[in-house]
Amino acid sequence: MPITEANAGRRYPSCDPYYVSAAKIAEFATALGDDNARYRGESPIAPPTFAAVISAHAWDQLFGDPELELSLERVVHGDQRFIFSRPIHAGDVVIASLTLDKVRVRAGSELVSATVDMAGHDGEPICSAQATFYHVREAVA
Amino acid sequence: MKATVAEGLEVGTELPPLTVRFTRERLVRYAGAATDFNPIHYSEHFARQAGLPGVIAHGMLTMGTALRVVTNWVGDPSRVISYSARFPRPVVVPDDADGVDVELGGRVSAIEGSLVTVTIDAISAGQKVLGAARAQVDLGVRVPHRDHET
Repeated sequence: MPITEANAGRRYPSCDPYYVSAAKIAEFATALGDDNARYRGESPIAPPTFAAVISAHAWDQLFGDPELELSLERVVHGDQRFIFSRPIHAGDVVIASLTLDKVRVRAGSELVSATVDMAGHDGEPICSAQATFYHVREAVA
Repeated sequence: MKATVAEGLEVGTELPPLTVRFTRERLVRYAGAATDFNPIHYSEHFARQAGLPGVIAHGMLTMGTALRVVTNWVGDPSRVISYSARFPRPVVVPDDADGVDVELGGRVSAIEGSLVTVTIDAISAGQKVLGAARAQVDLGVRVPHRDHET
Protein backbone atom coordinates (compact mmCIF):
# COMPACT_ATOMS: atom_id res chain seq x y z
CA MET A 1 0.00 0.00 0.00
CA PRO A 2 1.46 3.40 -0.92
CA ILE A 3 2.34 6.01 1.68
CA THR A 4 -0.63 7.71 3.40
CA GLU A 5 -1.19 10.39 6.02
CA ALA A 6 -1.56 7.57 8.55
CA ASN A 7 2.16 6.82 8.24
CA ALA A 8 3.02 10.11 9.99
CA GLY A 9 4.67 9.51 13.34
CA ARG A 10 6.54 6.44 12.14
CA ARG A 11 9.97 6.24 13.75
CA TYR A 12 12.82 4.19 12.40
CA PRO A 13 15.53 2.46 14.40
CA SER A 14 18.74 4.47 14.72
CA CYS A 15 21.10 4.08 11.79
CA ASP A 16 24.46 2.40 12.16
CA PRO A 17 26.97 4.82 13.69
CA TYR A 18 28.53 7.20 11.16
CA TYR A 19 32.28 7.64 11.70
CA VAL A 20 33.26 11.13 10.54
CA SER A 21 36.71 11.26 8.94
CA ALA A 22 38.93 14.20 8.05
CA ALA A 23 39.24 12.80 4.53
CA LYS A 24 35.45 12.77 4.01
CA ILE A 25 35.15 16.30 5.39
CA ALA A 26 37.84 17.55 2.99
CA GLU A 27 36.20 15.72 0.07
CA PHE A 28 32.84 17.28 0.91
CA ALA A 29 34.29 20.79 1.30
CA THR A 30 36.03 20.40 -2.08
CA ALA A 31 32.73 19.35 -3.66
CA LEU A 32 31.25 22.64 -2.38
CA GLY A 33 34.29 24.49 -3.79
CA ASP A 34 34.96 25.68 -0.26
CA ASP A 35 38.58 26.33 0.77
CA ASN A 36 37.81 27.38 4.38
CA ALA A 37 40.84 26.39 6.50
CA ARG A 38 38.63 24.96 9.26
CA TYR A 39 37.62 22.09 6.97
CA ARG A 40 41.19 20.89 6.54
CA GLY A 41 44.23 19.97 8.58
CA GLU A 42 44.55 17.62 11.52
CA SER A 43 41.32 18.30 13.42
CA PRO A 44 38.83 19.77 11.00
CA ILE A 45 35.17 20.54 11.52
CA ALA A 46 32.70 19.71 8.76
CA PRO A 47 30.83 22.27 6.65
CA PRO A 48 27.45 22.73 8.39
CA THR A 49 25.52 21.04 5.57
CA PHE A 50 27.63 17.89 6.00
CA ALA A 51 24.75 17.04 8.35
CA ALA A 52 22.81 16.20 5.17
CA VAL A 53 25.36 13.50 4.31
CA ILE A 54 24.70 11.76 7.61
CA SER A 55 20.95 12.43 7.30
CA ALA A 56 20.95 10.69 3.93
CA HIS A 57 21.56 7.34 5.61
CA ALA A 58 18.40 7.88 7.62
CA TRP A 59 16.50 9.07 4.53
CA ASP A 60 17.51 5.81 2.84
CA GLN A 61 15.49 3.97 5.49
CA LEU A 62 12.44 6.01 4.52
CA PHE A 63 12.89 5.65 0.77
CA GLY A 64 13.72 1.99 1.20
CA ASP A 65 10.71 1.19 3.40
CA PRO A 66 8.79 -1.35 1.29
CA GLU A 67 5.49 -0.44 2.97
CA LEU A 68 5.67 3.16 1.72
CA GLU A 69 6.37 2.34 -1.94
CA LEU A 70 8.60 5.39 -2.48
CA SER A 71 11.09 5.48 -5.35
CA LEU A 72 14.26 7.47 -4.75
CA GLU A 73 14.58 8.35 -8.44
CA ARG A 74 11.26 10.20 -8.24
CA VAL A 75 12.09 12.13 -5.09
CA VAL A 76 12.86 15.85 -5.27
CA HIS A 77 14.00 17.87 -2.25
CA GLY A 78 11.47 20.57 -1.36
CA ASP A 79 12.93 22.26 1.70
CA GLN A 80 15.53 21.75 4.37
CA ARG A 81 16.17 23.13 7.83
CA PHE A 82 19.12 22.48 10.12
CA ILE A 83 19.43 23.39 13.78
CA PHE A 84 22.99 22.89 14.94
CA SER A 85 23.80 22.20 18.59
CA ARG A 86 27.48 22.00 17.79
CA PRO A 87 29.71 21.52 14.75
CA ILE A 88 30.51 18.04 13.46
CA HIS A 89 34.20 17.18 14.01
CA ALA A 90 36.47 14.61 12.45
CA GLY A 91 36.45 11.66 14.82
CA ASP A 92 32.80 12.09 15.79
CA VAL A 93 30.63 9.01 15.89
CA VAL A 94 27.15 10.20 14.93
CA ILE A 95 23.91 8.31 15.41
CA ALA A 96 21.01 9.43 13.23
CA SER A 97 17.37 8.58 13.78
CA LEU A 98 14.48 9.49 11.55
CA THR A 99 10.88 10.34 12.35
CA LEU A 100 8.30 10.67 9.59
CA ASP A 101 6.52 13.86 10.64
CA LYS A 102 3.88 14.48 8.03
CA VAL A 103 2.52 13.08 4.78
CA ARG A 104 0.35 15.05 2.38
CA VAL A 105 -1.14 13.11 -0.51
CA ARG A 106 -1.87 15.08 -3.65
CA ALA A 107 -2.97 14.13 -7.13
CA GLY A 108 -0.02 12.21 -8.52
CA SER A 109 2.43 13.06 -5.78
CA GLU A 110 3.12 13.02 -2.08
CA LEU A 111 4.81 15.55 0.18
CA VAL A 112 6.77 13.80 2.86
CA SER A 113 8.26 15.67 5.84
CA ALA A 114 10.78 13.99 8.10
CA THR A 115 13.17 14.94 10.88
CA VAL A 116 16.57 13.36 11.37
CA ASP A 117 18.01 13.80 14.85
CA MET A 118 21.77 13.38 15.02
CA ALA A 119 23.55 12.79 18.30
CA GLY A 120 26.92 11.66 19.55
CA HIS A 121 27.13 8.08 20.86
CA ASP A 122 26.80 9.52 24.37
CA GLY A 123 23.43 11.00 23.33
CA GLU A 124 24.72 14.57 23.12
CA PRO A 125 22.62 16.38 20.48
CA ILE A 126 24.55 17.51 17.39
CA CYS A 127 22.00 18.52 14.77
CA SER A 128 18.34 18.30 13.91
CA ALA A 129 17.59 18.22 10.18
CA GLN A 130 14.03 18.66 8.95
CA ALA A 131 13.29 18.05 5.30
CA THR A 132 10.33 17.94 2.95
CA PHE A 133 10.46 15.84 -0.19
CA TYR A 134 8.15 15.67 -3.18
CA HIS A 135 7.59 12.17 -4.44
CA VAL A 136 6.21 11.78 -7.95
CA ARG A 137 4.09 8.62 -7.78
CA GLU A 138 4.34 7.44 -11.38
CA ALA A 139 7.21 7.88 -13.81
CA VAL A 140 6.42 10.58 -16.38
CA ALA A 141 6.54 8.91 -19.78
CA MET B 1 35.64 34.87 13.97
CA LYS B 2 37.14 37.75 12.10
CA ALA B 3 37.56 40.66 14.54
CA THR B 4 35.82 43.12 12.27
CA VAL B 5 32.63 41.14 11.59
CA ALA B 6 30.46 42.66 14.35
CA GLU B 7 31.70 46.21 13.85
CA GLY B 8 29.31 48.52 12.06
CA LEU B 9 26.90 45.67 11.39
CA GLU B 10 23.27 46.63 10.96
CA VAL B 11 20.11 45.27 9.41
CA GLY B 12 20.57 45.65 5.68
CA THR B 13 24.35 45.19 5.67
CA GLU B 14 25.29 43.30 2.51
CA LEU B 15 27.75 40.40 2.60
CA PRO B 16 30.30 39.98 -0.19
CA PRO B 17 28.58 38.16 -3.08
CA LEU B 18 29.87 35.06 -4.82
CA THR B 19 29.22 33.54 -8.23
CA VAL B 20 29.71 29.80 -8.63
CA ARG B 21 29.46 27.58 -11.68
CA PHE B 22 27.72 24.22 -11.60
CA THR B 23 28.77 21.74 -14.27
CA ARG B 24 27.95 18.05 -14.63
CA GLU B 25 31.42 17.37 -13.23
CA ARG B 26 30.46 19.31 -10.10
CA LEU B 27 27.25 17.28 -9.72
CA VAL B 28 29.14 14.00 -9.98
CA ARG B 29 31.70 15.23 -7.48
CA TYR B 30 28.97 16.30 -5.05
CA ALA B 31 27.07 13.03 -5.51
CA GLY B 32 30.17 11.08 -4.53
CA ALA B 33 31.16 13.34 -1.66
CA ALA B 34 27.63 13.43 -0.25
CA THR B 35 26.83 9.79 -1.22
CA ASP B 36 23.62 11.11 -2.80
CA PHE B 37 23.21 8.99 -5.92
CA ASN B 38 19.69 9.97 -6.90
CA PRO B 39 19.92 9.53 -10.71
CA ILE B 40 17.99 12.76 -11.40
CA HIS B 41 21.34 14.44 -10.69
CA TYR B 42 23.23 12.67 -13.50
CA SER B 43 20.77 10.96 -15.83
CA GLU B 44 18.56 12.83 -18.31
CA HIS B 45 16.37 9.72 -18.53
CA PHE B 46 15.56 9.62 -14.82
CA ALA B 47 15.30 13.40 -14.54
CA ARG B 48 12.59 13.44 -17.22
CA GLN B 49 10.80 10.49 -15.62
CA ALA B 50 10.56 12.59 -12.46
CA GLY B 51 8.95 15.37 -14.49
CA LEU B 52 12.06 17.58 -14.53
CA PRO B 53 13.26 19.56 -17.56
CA GLY B 54 16.69 17.93 -17.37
CA VAL B 55 19.45 16.93 -14.99
CA ILE B 56 19.28 19.16 -11.90
CA ALA B 57 21.73 20.09 -9.19
CA HIS B 58 21.24 18.56 -5.77
CA GLY B 59 19.26 21.02 -3.66
CA MET B 60 21.88 20.44 -0.99
CA LEU B 61 24.68 21.38 -3.41
CA THR B 62 22.99 24.74 -3.97
CA MET B 63 22.17 25.17 -0.29
CA GLY B 64 25.61 24.08 0.89
CA THR B 65 27.41 26.27 -1.64
CA ALA B 66 25.21 29.27 -0.81
CA LEU B 67 26.21 29.06 2.84
CA ARG B 68 29.76 29.96 1.74
CA VAL B 69 28.53 33.57 1.55
CA VAL B 70 28.00 33.41 5.31
CA THR B 71 30.99 31.27 6.31
CA ASN B 72 33.40 33.28 4.11
CA TRP B 73 32.17 36.38 5.90
CA VAL B 74 32.12 35.09 9.48
CA GLY B 75 35.31 33.05 9.00
CA ASP B 76 34.49 30.39 11.59
CA PRO B 77 31.79 28.01 10.28
CA SER B 78 31.06 26.79 13.82
CA ARG B 79 29.30 30.13 14.38
CA VAL B 80 26.39 28.93 12.22
CA ILE B 81 23.60 27.73 14.52
CA SER B 82 20.75 27.25 12.07
CA TYR B 83 20.19 27.24 8.33
CA SER B 84 17.03 26.72 6.33
CA ALA B 85 15.90 27.05 2.73
CA ARG B 86 13.26 25.98 0.27
CA PHE B 87 14.00 24.75 -3.24
CA PRO B 88 11.37 26.57 -5.32
CA ARG B 89 12.99 25.82 -8.68
CA PRO B 90 15.63 23.35 -9.72
CA VAL B 91 19.02 24.43 -11.05
CA VAL B 92 19.08 22.72 -14.44
CA VAL B 93 22.66 21.85 -15.38
CA PRO B 94 23.31 21.39 -19.11
CA ASP B 95 25.56 18.65 -20.48
CA ASP B 96 28.21 20.98 -21.87
CA ALA B 97 31.53 22.55 -20.91
CA ASP B 98 30.02 25.75 -19.51
CA GLY B 99 27.42 24.53 -17.04
CA VAL B 100 25.32 27.18 -15.36
CA ASP B 101 26.15 30.06 -13.04
CA VAL B 102 24.55 30.57 -9.63
CA GLU B 103 24.82 34.07 -8.18
CA LEU B 104 24.88 34.13 -4.40
CA GLY B 105 24.42 37.06 -2.07
CA GLY B 106 23.42 37.74 1.51
CA ARG B 107 22.29 40.57 3.72
CA VAL B 108 21.73 40.94 7.43
CA SER B 109 18.01 40.69 8.07
CA ALA B 110 17.91 40.60 11.88
CA ILE B 111 20.19 41.26 14.85
CA GLU B 112 19.38 40.18 18.39
CA GLY B 113 22.23 40.47 20.87
CA SER B 114 25.01 38.30 19.44
CA LEU B 115 22.66 36.48 17.03
CA VAL B 116 22.70 37.68 13.44
CA THR B 117 20.33 36.38 10.79
CA VAL B 118 21.51 36.50 7.19
CA THR B 119 19.01 36.16 4.35
CA ILE B 120 20.66 34.49 1.35
CA ASP B 121 19.78 34.99 -2.30
CA ALA B 122 20.61 32.41 -4.94
CA ILE B 123 19.81 33.24 -8.56
CA SER B 124 20.36 31.02 -11.59
CA ALA B 125 19.19 31.78 -15.13
CA GLY B 126 17.41 34.85 -13.72
CA GLN B 127 15.34 32.84 -11.25
CA LYS B 128 15.46 32.37 -7.50
CA VAL B 129 16.62 28.84 -6.79
CA LEU B 130 16.53 29.11 -3.01
CA GLY B 131 13.51 30.46 -1.16
CA ALA B 132 13.41 31.91 2.35
CA ALA B 133 17.08 30.96 2.79
CA ARG B 134 18.23 32.10 6.20
CA ALA B 135 21.27 31.32 8.28
CA GLN B 136 21.64 32.37 11.86
CA VAL B 137 25.12 32.92 13.29
CA ASP B 138 26.13 33.51 16.87
CA LEU B 139 28.97 36.03 16.79
CA GLY B 140 29.69 35.37 20.47
CA VAL B 141 29.74 39.10 21.19
CA ARG B 142 26.85 41.52 21.22
CA VAL B 143 26.60 43.51 18.04
CA PRO B 144 27.15 47.12 19.12
CA HIS B 145 24.08 49.30 18.70
CA ARG B 146 24.47 52.14 16.30
CA ASP B 147 24.12 55.47 18.10
CA HIS B 148 21.03 56.92 16.49
CA GLU B 149 21.29 60.24 18.34
CA THR B 150 22.91 63.00 16.40
